[in-house]
Amino acid sequence: MRVLVLAVMAIVLSGTAARAADPRYPDWPCTQAKVPEISLAAVWAGPPLDEVQSKWKDDAKISALVAKLSARKTPLDEAEKLVKEFLAASASDKTANAKLLFAGLFDTLNAQRSQVINGLERVSRKQREAADKIREETLALQALQGVTPRDDAKIEALSNELIWKTRIFEDRHKVVRFVCEVPTTIDQRLFALGRVIQQEME
Amino acid sequence: MSSSRHRDDAAPPPPLAGEGWEEGVSVRKTPQEERALSRIASVDAIRPPPQAGEVKAARAQPQRIEVQRPLHTLMLPLSLFAGLALANAPAHAFIAYVSNEKSNTVSVIDTDSWTVTKTIKVGQRPRGIDFTRDGKFVMVAVGDDDTIQVIDAKTQSVVDSLPSGPDPELFAQDAAGKILYVANENDNTVTVIDLEKRARLGDIQVGVEPEGMTISPDGKTLINTSETTNMAHFIDTSSRQIVANVLVDARPRFAEFKHDSSEVWVSSEIGGTVSIIDPNKHEVIGKVTFEIPGLRKEAIQPVGIGMTKDDKTAFIALGPANRIAVVDVATRKVLKYLLVGQRVWHMAFTPDEKYLLTTNGVSNDVSVIDVAAQKVIKTIQVGELPWGITIAP
Repeated sequence: MRVLVLAVMAIVLSGTAARAADPRYPDWPCTQAKVPEISLAAVWAGPPLDEVQSKWKDDAKISALVAKLSARKTPLDEAEKLVKEFLAASASDKTANAKLLFAGLFDTLNAQRSQVINGLERVSRKQREAADKIREETLALQALQGVTPRDDAKIEALSNELIWKTRIFEDRHKVVRFVCEVPTTIDQRLFALGRVIQQEME
Repeated sequence: MSSSRHRDDAAPPPPLAGEGWEEGVSVRKTPQEERALSRIASVDAIRPPPQAGEVKAARAQPQRIEVQRPLHTLMLPLSLFAGLALANAPAHAFIAYVSNEKSNTVSVIDTDSWTVTKTIKVGQRPRGIDFTRDGKFVMVAVGDDDTIQVIDAKTQSVVDSLPSGPDPELFAQDAAGKILYVANENDNTVTVIDLEKRARLGDIQVGVEPEGMTISPDGKTLINTSETTNMAHFIDTSSRQIVANVLVDARPRFAEFKHDSSEVWVSSEIGGTVSIIDPNKHEVIGKVTFEIPGLRKEAIQPVGIGMTKDDKTAFIALGPANRIAVVDVATRKVLKYLLVGQRVWHMAFTPDEKYLLTTNGVSNDVSVIDVAAQKVIKTIQVGELPWGITIAP
C-alpha cells in the first residue's frame, strides 16, 4: 500500500509540474500555444466583411448552412463540397452570399473555439484543486499508517478514496490532452472553408 | 437487461459534465509529436494523403484536358480525351519531394498532374530535404533517428543513409554537390560529409544550436544562424572556423544568398523581419519588414526565403500569417501578400521557375504559386506537418 501511495503522489505531482508554459495564461494546460482568437486577416484575404457584420443570421438558408459546415461531424470534404454547391447555385448573389457565409463561419467557429478554450482553462483550475486535495490526503494517509494501534478500517477507506480520486484526475488529464488539439482542428476547418469560398469568388 | 447496452456512461474516459466541449478529437501522441507541438500547434491530418496510383485517375479527368487544349477542339468522346491529355502532357513535368515531419513520410508530387503519386515511409521526424545535384537521389534528415536517409529517385525508396551527428535538422551542399554540411540540433556541431564516398569528413564546432544554414555560391562561406545567439555566423569552409558574427533580430531561422552573392537574406522568426547582410563587410545593410492589416505583429513569423534566379523577386514565408510575401529585391519592399496555407515555412521553385511550391504545416498541404502571375493556383494535400520541399533539377 505504501508503494502505491508513493506512486500515486508521483503521478499527481508530475501531472501538474509541467503546466503554464506561457506566463500570460497560467491556467492554459496545453503544450500548443494559446491563441485566444483567430484574427480575420489570418484566414481571409477576400473583400472586407465590415458591412456584412451579423447579417448572415437574418438569412435562414445561410444560417442553416453555417451550422452544418461548423459541425465537426460534417467531414471537411463534404463541407467543402457543400460550399461549392451553394455558391454555384447563387448566380448573381455569389459575392454577397460568399461574404455572408464566411462571416457566419468566422463568428460561429471562433465562438466554438473560445468555448473549448474556456472549458480547458476551467478544467485546468479544477485539476489543480484536485491535485492539492490528493496531496493532502496522501499525507494524511501516511500519518494514519504511522499511528499505533493501526486503524485498518480507516486506512482502507482513505486508500480507496485516494485511488478513486487519482483515477479521475488521471482520466481528466488524458482528456485534456486530446481536447488541446480541438482549437487547431477548428482553425483548420475555418481556414479550409475560407479558402474554398475565396477560390469560388475569383 | 438489454437496456443497459444503450448506456454510454461506461465509455472511457469519463465525460466531464457541463464542461462545454465536444468529443470527436483524434487521439495520437508520441514523444516526437510532443516536441513538435511545443513549437507549433498542430493536429492529426483530417484527410490522408492520396495513395500511389491516384495520379492516373487524376490525369484522366476532363478538367485536366481543358488546361491543355482549347475547349473548341474537344469534340471527341471522353475516353479519347484522356489519351490525348497524356499524349499532350507538357514536356517539363517535375517531381517534388515533401517531408512530412509528423507522419514520418515523404510525399512525391507530380507537377504535371499536381497530385501525390507516392508516399514514401522514412525515419522518424523528417525535416530538411534536398536533391543531390545530379538529381539521382533525395536526402532527408530524419532527426529522431539521428541520420540522413537517401532515397533513390528512380525507385522512390530509401536505399542508404549518411553519417550525421545527433538530431540532424537540415543541411546544405556546395555548388558542386560534393560536400554536405549538416546542422545537428542536439550537439552544437555541423557535420561535414563527403557525398561521393558518403563518409564523414569531420565536424565543425559552432558552439551554439545551429538552426538555418546556407552556403555561398562560391562554396567558401557557410552561414549558420542560431536562435540562442540571434546571430548569423559566417564560417570559412576551408579552415572550418567562424570568421564573423552578425547580429540580427530574434530567432534567425533561414539564410539565402542572392545568386550574384552580393547579399545574404536572413529571416528572424520572432523578430518578424528579414535582415539583409553584406557578406563581405559582414554587416546588416537593410531590413524587410512586414505589415498585414488586421493581423497582430507576432503572427508574422518569417522563415523560408526563395529568390528568383534574376535576383529581382524574393518570396518569404510568414508562418502563422498563412501568407507568402512577394518582395521586390531592389527596393526591399513587399509588393503583395499571397494567402497560401496554415503555418507556411519552406518552399521550392520548379527548375523552369514557373511555379513555387510552399509547405503549409498546419493545413497539411502544399500551395502552388504561379510565379509570373504571383497567384496561388492550386493546393495539394500531403502528409501531416509538411516541413521541407525539394524539386528534381
